[in-house]
Amino acid sequence: MKTHESGVDQFDAEALKELRPENQLGKTALVLAAVCVSAWFSNVVNGSPLLEALPGMLILYVMVIIGLVIGRVCPFYLPSVAWVSLISIIATLPFFPGNGWIIARLAEVDFLAVVTPVLAYAGLALTGREFSMFKQTGWKLVIVALLVFTGTFIGSAVVAHVML
Amino acid sequence: MDLKLLLDWRLHLMVIVTSMFAEWIGIVRIPLGPGTLLLLPLLYAFIIGVLFNPHLFSVMGKVIPKPVSNAAGPIILIAILPFIAKFGSTIGPAIEQIIAAGPALILQELGNLGTMLIALPFAVLVLKMGREAIGATYSIAREPNIAIISDRYGLRSPEGIGIMGVYVVGTMFGTLYFALMAGYIASLDILDIRALAMACGVGSGSMVAACSAALAEAVPGSRDELLAFAGASNLLTYATGLYISLFIALPVTEWMYKRLKGSRQEVRHENP
Repeated sequence: MKTHESGVDQFDAEALKELRPENQLGKTALVLAAVCVSAWFSNVVNGSPLLEALPGMLILYVMVIIGLVIGRVCPFYLPSVAWVSLISIIATLPFFPGNGWIIARLAEVDFLAVVTPVLAYAGLALTGREFSMFKQTGWKLVIVALLVFTGTFIGSAVVAHVML
Repeated sequence: MDLKLLLDWRLHLMVIVTSMFAEWIGIVRIPLGPGTLLLLPLLYAFIIGVLFNPHLFSVMGKVIPKPVSNAAGPIILIAILPFIAKFGSTIGPAIEQIIAAGPALILQELGNLGTMLIALPFAVLVLKMGREAIGATYSIAREPNIAIISDRYGLRSPEGIGIMGVYVVGTMFGTLYFALMAGYIASLDILDIRALAMACGVGSGSMVAACSAALAEAVPGSRDELLAFAGASNLLTYATGLYISLFIALPVTEWMYKRLKGSRQEVRHENP
């Protein structure tokens, strides 16, 4: 017998599978265009004016689409983020044709401005279930976060110390 | 999901206005003791988004109806991708530096696994956390790590709540905490100061800056060398950290979580 909660989880899992960006390329291309417009405007304040940032935004759009298409046709699974970052690294390598132009256009797009709208979507997307979940575990997450920072820092320092 | 909801103009306009306002406020630096509290626009954007969320304040349903808010969930997955593309473009041009940086820099990335050795057992066994613990402890919860969790589980899953919680804590206190911790550990004089500089690189930009600045304060003579090591390490965190967290850290965390949960359940069966 199914509880209400697991029914919701199941729906989420199915919705997530359906909405994996690479599985619905047409829909994704439209939504991606909308979020790029948000990032494009967000970039105006601390990045560059709309017209100057346009080529850079278009390059980012194309890189994402290429990454998603590869993720779609590739026989083994790699998350779309991995494909997209790989495409972007390759396109900006020193020996890649036109890399200087690509880097110059992307310089018009501010690093932090692109991520600001993502967090705005995230804030708007939270549901009642998540608010109550966060209320329950919020203080625990603060303790865990400080342990995570300490563990990562000391772990990395010890490995580097041994290697030096 | 209905395309009409995904492309609802109210949602995207709201995000544009929110983002531009957040960007206009800009980066705020609050000096606090030996470090600086650094507030970035993305933090304000998240808070404003939460304040306009119709699930929190039902009166906001007039601006953003609930179905539109639900449509924003899957949009996050797509919205993070242009950022990932921008991020990769900082690595390509620096590839020679990365290769020259040597094996110490590459292998210290594995030290990130120290994250879950302390934090995960504590979260599961002491705090009795559920699957939030996986998202919270598999990495240091910076943007690329969020992207992985978002891609694998979705940001609205328990794992997503976990990583967003650590992300928010990191954004608010991470810079300060890193500065304090690095300065303190350097003063203990146990580990090579260059190793500490590399360890600074695991964080986000502001964490790295605060952390290496604190080290440079502790050992003023080798300031430039320390900043270079921290910078190269940070570049590597972004270059290889994504793959280490995806292929090593996340599977190991899942495995350890099952082990930890399993042992707890056995105990419960023995004492019904």
